[in-house]
Amino acid sequence: MAEMTYLEGISDGLREEMRRDEAVFCLGEDIGAFGGAFKVTDGFIDEFGADRVLDTPLAENMIIGASIGAAIEGMRPVCEMQFADFISCGFDQLVNVAGKLHYRQGVSVPMVVRLPSGGGFSGGPFHSQNPEAWFVQAPGLKVVAPATAADAKGLLVSAIRDPNPVCFMEHKGLYRHVKGDVPEGEHAVPLGEARLAREGGELTVIAYGSAVPLALQAADELDEDIEVLDLRTLNPLDTEAILASARKTGKVLIAHEATRSCGVGAEVASLVSERAFESLDAPVRRLTAPDVPIPFSPPLEQAVLPQLDDMKEACRELLAY
Amino acid sequence: MSSSPTDGPASLVEIVMPQMGVSVAEGTIVEWSKRPGDWVERDETVCLVTTDKVDVEIPSPAAGRLARVLVEPGDTVAVGTSLAELDAAARPGEAHPEEHREEPPPARRGEGGQEADRSAFHSPVVRRMAEEHGIDLSSVQGTGIGGRIRKRDLVAMIESPGRDVEPPEEHERPLHIESPYRPEAPAPATEANGDRVPTGDVLPEGRREAMSPMRSLIAKHMTESRRTAAHCTTVVEVDLSRVVAARKELREGMERRGVPLTYLAFVASAAVDALNRHPILNASIEGEEIVYHDDVNLGIAVALDEGLIVPVIRRAQRLSLEGLASEVYELAGRARNGALEPDDVAGGTFTITNPGQFGAVLATPIINQPQVAILDLEAVVKRPVVVDGEDGDSIAIRPMTNLCMSWDHRALDGAAAARFLGDVKDRLEGWEAR
Repeated sequence: MAEMTYLEGISDGLREEMRRDEAVFCLGEDIGAFGGAFKVTDGFIDEFGADRVLDTPLAENMIIGASIGAAIEGMRPVCEMQFADFISCGFDQLVNVAGKLHYRQGVSVPMVVRLPSGGGFSGGPFHSQNPEAWFVQAPGLKVVAPATAADAKGLLVSAIRDPNPVCFMEHKGLYRHVKGDVPEGEHAVPLGEARLAREGGELTVIAYGSAVPLALQAADELDEDIEVLDLRTLNPLDTEAILASARKTGKVLIAHEATRSCGVGAEVASLVSERAFESLDAPVRRLTAPDVPIPFSPPLEQAVLPQLDDMKEACRELLAY
Repeated sequence: MSSSPTDGPASLVEIVMPQMGVSVAEGTIVEWSKRPGDWVERDETVCLVTTDKVDVEIPSPAAGRLARVLVEPGDTVAVGTSLAELDAAARPGEAHPEEHREEPPPARRGEGGQEADRSAFHSPVVRRMAEEHGIDLSSVQGTGIGGRIRKRDLVAMIESPGRDVEPPEEHERPLHIESPYRPEAPAPATEANGDRVPTGDVLPEGRREAMSPMRSLIAKHMTESRRTAAHCTTVVEVDLSRVVAARKELREGMERRGVPLTYLAFVASAAVDALNRHPILNASIEGEEIVYHDDVNLGIAVALDEGLIVPVIRRAQRLSLEGLASEVYELAGRARNGALEPDDVAGGTFTITNPGQFGAVLATPIINQPQVAILDLEAVVKRPVVVDGEDGDSIAIRPMTNLCMSWDHRALDGAAAARFLGDVKDRLEGWEAR
């Protein structure tokens, strides 16, 4: 075990896989000589050389397209969107080509798209989004969203080894604020398995990414019997874990930083009401950002993104229901 | 707009109907928002006036206490008419006996205000737990919002010592239809003479005998089939006049060749014929797939003393009526002599059973798995039937039988079964040697 930040966990997982498997390489904007906008690939070019740490033009369409080609030819590309927001420029390649090749032609596309996402630092509408729901809705893509340093490493390793295209949502707000013990050397966390982050009996908060530490802090400060389930993988969802916890507590709050409508929270809420209806003791509720772009102004951004007080208030209301 | 002090007591201010545009000469009071005795701020609305064009709120020309209202709601008055008087010398806060006090605004939910009574609303889990534990919810004091009964209230009640609620049913029903949890059904308690059925220990004395291996195999296969297939039975009545005639004609010759000609052979021939046109009946179910068989391997149920056995006529579609009759005779004979080989009873694709030889007229046979249907030939009985005579309908005596077919609703639907049976019926009723 070594204490690492969330960001170091990602770097460590990527480095381990590149050392283990020559087919793994990474590409993206300024990831080589500069080490990446957030320094995830800092020093990689010295260890692995410019052939495996490729600096690309500012063309997300090309980055994803090239990754698909390499994956089809047997490589395992890990491409970085400098900000998750920019993925929209590569949308067609990812959703229509990568996601469907297996269904159309039986061709496996083992690639990972790293998506630095999330707000909270006054990045404005183009550098703060949480676009995971776009990809959860696109068949053929897996979507992963770690909340801890150990999962950041372990899920990235599994994403690289997975035969499918995987969207890896890494939250920028967690990069340097979340620290934890991370197993050294080989560490893989299976995709599709949620993590019980806190055990409780009165209320389940189902969260992922930046909402997980928020939920844990709220539960601790409220000092109530709250269970926190960290989804970790958004597609495929760990339906059994979700239903087991919902049936146990009978009260469910789903929390994410992404916008509300047709988001992951909506899907989980639907699952719970369909399959755990007779165990429910309260309406299934969501705590999310409203359906607006992320404002640049710090007080407005605070008003839009779920804050600790919002989380505590939502928990209190459901507990009292 | 004009509101001006009047010549009356110096402190009294008049509120008049204002000029609300050049073409407006009069207005109608809709309602007063202040009553006599109310404190009124300057420019605060005192009443609402409507004209033929618009509604206008009339502001107070000064601060003071409303002294008198001069025009009632509904009354129409000319511009400049005095509507009310205001005592501008009054002080706010001085209680007036008629002062109208506003109700405090209703408290917002969640702010400690009075909650709506929600004690009659029960969440899904509360209803389920109450049902399982036999709890009368009207007797439970809820601790949730508005007195709602919460899950924790019931949990506390159930867990409290000395509770007088019933224990949960032993077999909790599945939470939802997709639950993998399927409780074992409790042993069925049938009723006899209104009493509980005597169980094993109170049955009257009698002889006990172990099932023969054949009996126990039949038992197993039949229950298995009942559990597996979605059984349905369709019946057609068949007039066998022409078959009887044909049998009379052919019987002697065939018997000379050592082949007894039975009605079963005719039905088998008609059925095999129809199976070629209705392949869904000559099929079997394998998992999620339906296998349509190229050959008709016709099983013929033979009743032995020990039990039923079903030898199979292979590739029955290649056999003539005489060929079928000969095979039926040969297989039945070997069955009765216990001379069947294992292969003789395997690989059937459709089965015909014939309990009618004992006089039965209706049955709902059980399908021989994994086939999808079994055809049952009942007794041939002379019955009066309505037939098409030369002079319209007439009653005739005809040799009639029922063809009862059980079929698997998983593989086909009633229409397909009826079409097949209709086909067999037509062939038999219009029998012609081929």
